[in-house]
Amino acid sequence: MADEAAADSLLDVERQEAALASDGDADLQAFREAVHSLPSDAVKDLMSAWVCSRCIFRLFGLTEPCSCPCLSPSVFTERLMPENLVGSLIDGGSSESEHSTSLPEPVVCSVCLGILQFYHNNDVQLLVSKDGMNDLAASIAELVKQEGHQTDSFSLEVSIPSITLDNERVIMSYMSRKYGSQLYSQERSFSECICLKNALKSLIKAPLETLLGVKYGQGPLHIRLTYSESSKTIEKSVEHKFGATSKRRKKGNENGLETVDGLMNSGIGCIATGVGHSVVTDTPVNGLQHHQSSDFSKLLLEKVRRPCSLSFHCNRDPIYFGGRYLKYSRNVSQTCWMIDEDRMGEASVEEIISSCILLMCRGDKYKFHAAGREDMDVRMLGSGRPFLVEIQNPRHVPSDVLVKDIEHKINSSREKLVRVKNLKLVGSQGWTLMREGEAEKQKQYAALVWISRPLEDPDLLSISSVRDMCILQRTPIRVLHRRSPLDREKIIHWMKIERIGGTSQYFILHLCTQAGTYIKEFVHGDLGRTHPSVGSMLGCRAEILQLDVTDVKMDVF
Amino acid sequence: MLQVPMTDQSAQQSSISTDSAAAQNNSSSTELKEVRKVDGDDEDKELHELLMPDVRNLPLAPPSAVESNFVAYFAPDFMKPGHDQYVYRHPNGLCVVGLAPTHVAFRDEGGVMGVDFNVGKSDRSAIKVTGKRKKNAQHFESNTMLCKVCTKSDSYVVRCCVKGSLLEVNERLIKQPDLLNSSADREGYIAIIMPKPADWLKVKATLLGLEEYKRLKEQC
Repeated sequence: MADEAAADSLLDVERQEAALASDGDADLQAFREAVHSLPSDAVKDLMSAWVCSRCIFRLFGLTEPCSCPCLSPSVFTERLMPENLVGSLIDGGSSESEHSTSLPEPVVCSVCLGILQFYHNNDVQLLVSKDGMNDLAASIAELVKQEGHQTDSFSLEVSIPSITLDNERVIMSYMSRKYGSQLYSQERSFSECICLKNALKSLIKAPLETLLGVKYGQGPLHIRLTYSESSKTIEKSVEHKFGATSKRRKKGNENGLETVDGLMNSGIGCIATGVGHSVVTDTPVNGLQHHQSSDFSKLLLEKVRRPCSLSFHCNRDPIYFGGRYLKYSRNVSQTCWMIDEDRMGEASVEEIISSCILLMCRGDKYKFHAAGREDMDVRMLGSGRPFLVEIQNPRHVPSDVLVKDIEHKINSSREKLVRVKNLKLVGSQGWTLMREGEAEKQKQYAALVWISRPLEDPDLLSISSVRDMCILQRTPIRVLHRRSPLDREKIIHWMKIERIGGTSQYFILHLCTQAGTYIKEFVHGDLGRTHPSVGSMLGCRAEILQLDVTDVKMDVF
Repeated sequence: MLQVPMTDQSAQQSSISTDSAAAQNNSSSTELKEVRKVDGDDEDKELHELLMPDVRNLPLAPPSAVESNFVAYFAPDFMKPGHDQYVYRHPNGLCVVGLAPTHVAFRDEGGVMGVDFNVGKSDRSAIKVTGKRKKNAQHFESNTMLCKVCTKSDSYVVRCCVKGSLLEVNERLIKQPDLLNSSADREGYIAIIMPKPADWLKVKATLLGLEEYKRLKEQC
């Protein structure tokens, strides 16, 4: 029995391997068909210009073979170039074969600079592997795992050096000129060239989906791959071969010669360098076209193309928390306030709330926004002031339970400086919500007021009979240094005096005003620049000792 | 700064609280707070407790807004004997300029009767300063004329005392010159000037602090 089972399982394995092989065969078959469909002399020419197989496919607008993971240039060359030309041109081409064990210096594509071949520098060494694509996907997945990101979808953003686009343009133009008519007769064109970024994305997408276990889409996790040119200097031989002045492209034409178009016509220049800056040569156009193809290849033979440097990062879309805060201290500013490296006040609402949230979300940075603000020496009581905290690149999106935990943690701090209410995750509409009600919002205050004579009953009446009284406030002296000198009309909606037992010249003034009213100045009159004021209404001097905000009337959070 | 607490018997009942019958003069204020019952829910109660001050800590007369927010400097006999002016400087750098209480103008019978800002080359009350950067503000020297103050018998020139940009003049003085007689140190201020930090330091050295000024004038 055991033998049979063993034999069965062996059969299974064989069956699986055969299936794989036939799948592979099917892929290979499709690949070979695609290769056959291309005009072979064009392909040969491209290969002699050190264009990698994926680039060749995408130049012709073929998607499938381009994204085929088992792409092997050796297969390519087998099919197309049986002659000896293969060996002499593709120096080290055999090193790209899947069957070789050693990995000598690779041949870097002259168009994509190794991007689609998954060769790249990491400043220490040239990274080459037999399975570059999957290795890259694995490194990216490793980074995402290390960062600890939580997401249900990811997007890819690729940044490539502009020289690859130039290379592409030059080679396309060269090919169009040389093979244009031939292709036209075959009803082909280069117009369906797949751009390098899309080609790369479609290659790396699938392995990443598998490794990360989530679908490719619009985010919220964004993976950015940045390829940049290795800064190496231009080979001397180019300059030697093609004469005197080399100029940087686009820097103007001092000798009245080369423009970018001129470059393209000559078929030389941008392609060949693929390193650092491209070279503009001032060889006469005609002469060059004459020797076009042979010089082309000679030049390319002498070139060494360096692969790009690659760095990748991942970043998650920000998340937003909304709520209301109360401030119990008269020594705490709303936002972090520093003057010459000295902190004003002992803490800030912003830091107390945001740092706690940032920690729990394992984010990079926070941004604190509040619906208005109060002075440091003014307490924020009552219903609290609406605020919004933006957490950038959060690794962890908290659940409702955890959000309650965060609120509890802030509120049970030893110092009891700040309290948070109704903390919750909000979408990006939280921002518009806050901004919407701002202009109309009314605010309610309680001020501890002293007057220069005893309070009398008629005073209570004259104050409480106020309904939507208009006052004119000139920009208070205490902010005049940084604000425009303006006369601002403000509305006092209502007022009420609350007597204090044990004193006749102190009382609590409750008032509700339009947003933007300067309360302190309304009480003491700001040298007569706010009129009417509490003092002018009561016909005596009035001073304010303390101010508290008791309500911010806004329908949010 | 615990001062003698108020024991004024007259004002006792709160107009908001409903039941303060038990609260009497003789109780300490903490007991007052505890005994007082407030309508509404716990939040209101908490709020109310937070708002009510401890009466024992309230000073008889608190410092005025000017006293708490500005540092007072004096320029005695500015360019002419008896022309005593004050410069109140705010921590933000702005200076409020006006007539000190010992100014000669106040000695004339009837005090100040009129104020005219049309002096020197322009009417100072006509300037319009706009914007955060204070465009159009005129740059004046410390001896530039601000206005003329007239009494029944004489007229006196008031000058900037501080080199800087003139942000504002108190044009209310035109219609209400009496403000100078009643409250020259508050509603009767003359102008607001914004000096550059370097200019302020230079002029500060020539001005007297409050104590010095008092001593000087007591001697006269």
